[in-house]
Amino acid sequence: MVEESGPQALLSIKDVSKEFPGVKALDRVSLEVSGGVVHGIVGENGAGKSTLMKILSGVYEKDSGEVTFEGRVIDKTSPVESMNMGLAIIYQELNLVNTMTVGENVFLGRFAEAGGRRGVHAKARKLLDSIGSKVSTHKMVSELSVSDKQMVEIAKALSFDSKLIIMDEPSSSLTNDELEKLVKIIHDLKAKGIAIIYISHKLDEIHGFCDIVTVLRDGHVIDTRKVSELSRNQMISMMVGRTIDNEFPARPESAGETILEIKNINTRKLKDVQLTLRKGEILGLVGLVGSGRTELVRALFGADKVSKKTVFIDGKLVEIKNPIDAIKLGLALVPEDRKHQGLLLGFPVEQNISLAVLKRLTTYGFINTSEEGSVSDRQIKALNIKTPSGRTLIRTLSGGNQQKAILGRWLEMKPRILILDEPTKGIDVGAKYEIYLLMKQIVEQGGSIILISSELPEVLHMSNRVHTISDGRVNGEFDPAVASADEIMERAFQFA
Amino acid sequence: MSAATAPVEGRSIPGTIGNFLRDNPIYVAIVGLVVVTSIVEPRFLTPSNFNNIILSAGVLIFAALGMTFVIMAGFLDLSIGGIISLVAVVTVTMIDQVGQGPAILIGLTVGLICGLINSGLILSSGALTQAESLFITFGMSLVYGAVALMYVQGATQFLTYSETDISIFNAINSGKIGPISVFTAMAIVATVILLIIERRTYMGRAVVLTGGNKTAARLAGVPISRTIVMIYAISGLLSAVGAVVLVSRVTLADPTMGTPYMTQAILAVVIGGTALTGGRGSVLWTVIGVFLLVLLNNCLNLLGVSSYVQFMVWGVILIIVIWLDTVKQARVRG
Repeated sequence: MVEESGPQALLSIKDVSKEFPGVKALDRVSLEVSGGVVHGIVGENGAGKSTLMKILSGVYEKDSGEVTFEGRVIDKTSPVESMNMGLAIIYQELNLVNTMTVGENVFLGRFAEAGGRRGVHAKARKLLDSIGSKVSTHKMVSELSVSDKQMVEIAKALSFDSKLIIMDEPSSSLTNDELEKLVKIIHDLKAKGIAIIYISHKLDEIHGFCDIVTVLRDGHVIDTRKVSELSRNQMISMMVGRTIDNEFPARPESAGETILEIKNINTRKLKDVQLTLRKGEILGLVGLVGSGRTELVRALFGADKVSKKTVFIDGKLVEIKNPIDAIKLGLALVPEDRKHQGLLLGFPVEQNISLAVLKRLTTYGFINTSEEGSVSDRQIKALNIKTPSGRTLIRTLSGGNQQKAILGRWLEMKPRILILDEPTKGIDVGAKYEIYLLMKQIVEQGGSIILISSELPEVLHMSNRVHTISDGRVNGEFDPAVASADEIMERAFQFA
Repeated sequence: MSAATAPVEGRSIPGTIGNFLRDNPIYVAIVGLVVVTSIVEPRFLTPSNFNNIILSAGVLIFAALGMTFVIMAGFLDLSIGGIISLVAVVTVTMIDQVGQGPAILIGLTVGLICGLINSGLILSSGALTQAESLFITFGMSLVYGAVALMYVQGATQFLTYSETDISIFNAINSGKIGPISVFTAMAIVATVILLIIERRTYMGRAVVLTGGNKTAARLAGVPISRTIVMIYAISGLLSAVGAVVLVSRVTLADPTMGTPYMTQAILAVVIGGTALTGGRGSVLWTVIGVFLLVLLNNCLNLLGVSSYVQFMVWGVILIIVIWLDTVKQARVRG
């Protein structure tokens, strides 16, 4: 156990509970955060992390319990008040005004006290310099990368003289370089005595730079420990409530003859891309965001326009003009952006699952709705999708369960070639493992998978073969069983 | 976005009447007005007034039914005013040349073709947003209206001046099938067919899926282009049916007579509860919306409210309904 931090704790949360209709989101949660400490909070989706943060920032009101910040009991607060008290939250989706400049965002609503236009930019410059950011204060926020936007958020937090900065999944859209920059800033802030609460799914990050970790599960604090005392696997078992011996199932056996051969795909982004896929194989595609990996699978699937495309399936030249053609040939695509490209958020789980096989459920133009119900029930059961029923709106499910529903949509059509673009993005460890098992099951039944992922360990452990993509070209092929992660990353970073 | 409310577990498609009324308070408001009117204005509860109400609904309902699918798919059709005017003048001028039956068929074909032209233009524009559909169909409304004006040189065409048989028009206007009038029967048939399409068929599902999330639906193999062609074809065809009913009822065709129906059709669909953002709605709601709108107009007329003020009432209702829908969406998203 962590030593008692006593009365000097910066933030202390005692027995805080919060109930929503039908869900106990937080059940007598207690934790203490001291200055100069990076405090990690981990837990699966729905464990209560966001609810806790929203209570601290004043978005939600707690039902019971006590929150003390700097020795003052805080009963009711609002987002603005908590900012002024020195408690800043940087949300995953970031809260900046895109149409204003960096400087204006840092001092949003406080132009006068910051000394007008000139003062705003001068002071913002100072704050950004203090965290080593070179972004111009006159630039529009809409032109910034996610990483630079985060810098602006941090500068904004510092402008309030924050004593505690809460970062909610800050690394989810960062490249490795950008993450390193963030880690450095976190160390600097820590040295200044500022406390950081770091919420993340990624256990590597917790291990890498957090001092203390609190594990939440189903609204309870499971434990708060020094990070050095916990192994990665221990942390995972605490999160999911059971022992997981391995994060990845054993790599599936590769098999069979060539099923898909791309002779060339050319688009504005892609240059003469060639690759082959064998039956029963998982082919990993590694590349930076913007390397052309997503464009490649979208072009293959007929989702985007191409200037040239020669594709053979089973040795036969095929024409894929649109997703309908692709689906007819047994291709399936789980897109990168679950919310905007995968889900119909306002529709029941059932109709989200039946989507790809809807034609099959239709005779003379009429949908067989009872058959549709059984298709959905079958997938809900097979994939262990946690939903009250097939008629529940998919919007209300957690990210992991939404993703499983999209997988169920495609599994129902028994795809020959399943394309997964970031299938485990923003999904908790338990659901991730289930998705890996599913992938294995698919290839064992003779399907093939093209896997795109920014998480290198995932690609390395699951794939039989890995291609690197850089600047619109396939520039390398590796056997992940023997190739090192460094080798592969180096190639992915190499520009022709 | 993130502020509003608690996660609601197990929320399913709204089914109970209570929920429905809470989500559609405008229903309650209009029914309230009807009750007040029936108390203060004895003329309201007379058979001839009810007849009036049904007659007014008779034309609007066809245009609004077609508009429902367009809006459910996340698009708009502002061209129906032009289509109604054009079909009306074409149909009436054709009667003496080809006979009444073929004239009606020609009229319906013109409506269908106008719908197909709309969808062709929208598809070729490529980006497929609601705003584009709005501007394209608005442009086409001007075109169809102008063609109607040029075709008859701006002159009103009188049905009763026809030298040949106009018995079909007379039957639509005053004929009866058993206890119900012919055009009521037509409206019921159209509603039932569309309701079956909406609830039971692949086509109907494709419409809401397109409105719900075009990108996701397309990636899952839903034929978006075909859906767009279909909704505009239906909208054009039903507007043409509305034009024929209108001609039968007022016994003349004027090249600008369709203009008010565009606003009213959209209003009826939205009052009914179909979301302007697409993905959610029903032709059944639209039938209710049409009657509420007609009742509202009727009450305001009987209460002696000037037509200028009535326009304002429409505008205010449209804004309130959209505002309420936005609030509702924010609540659902949490």
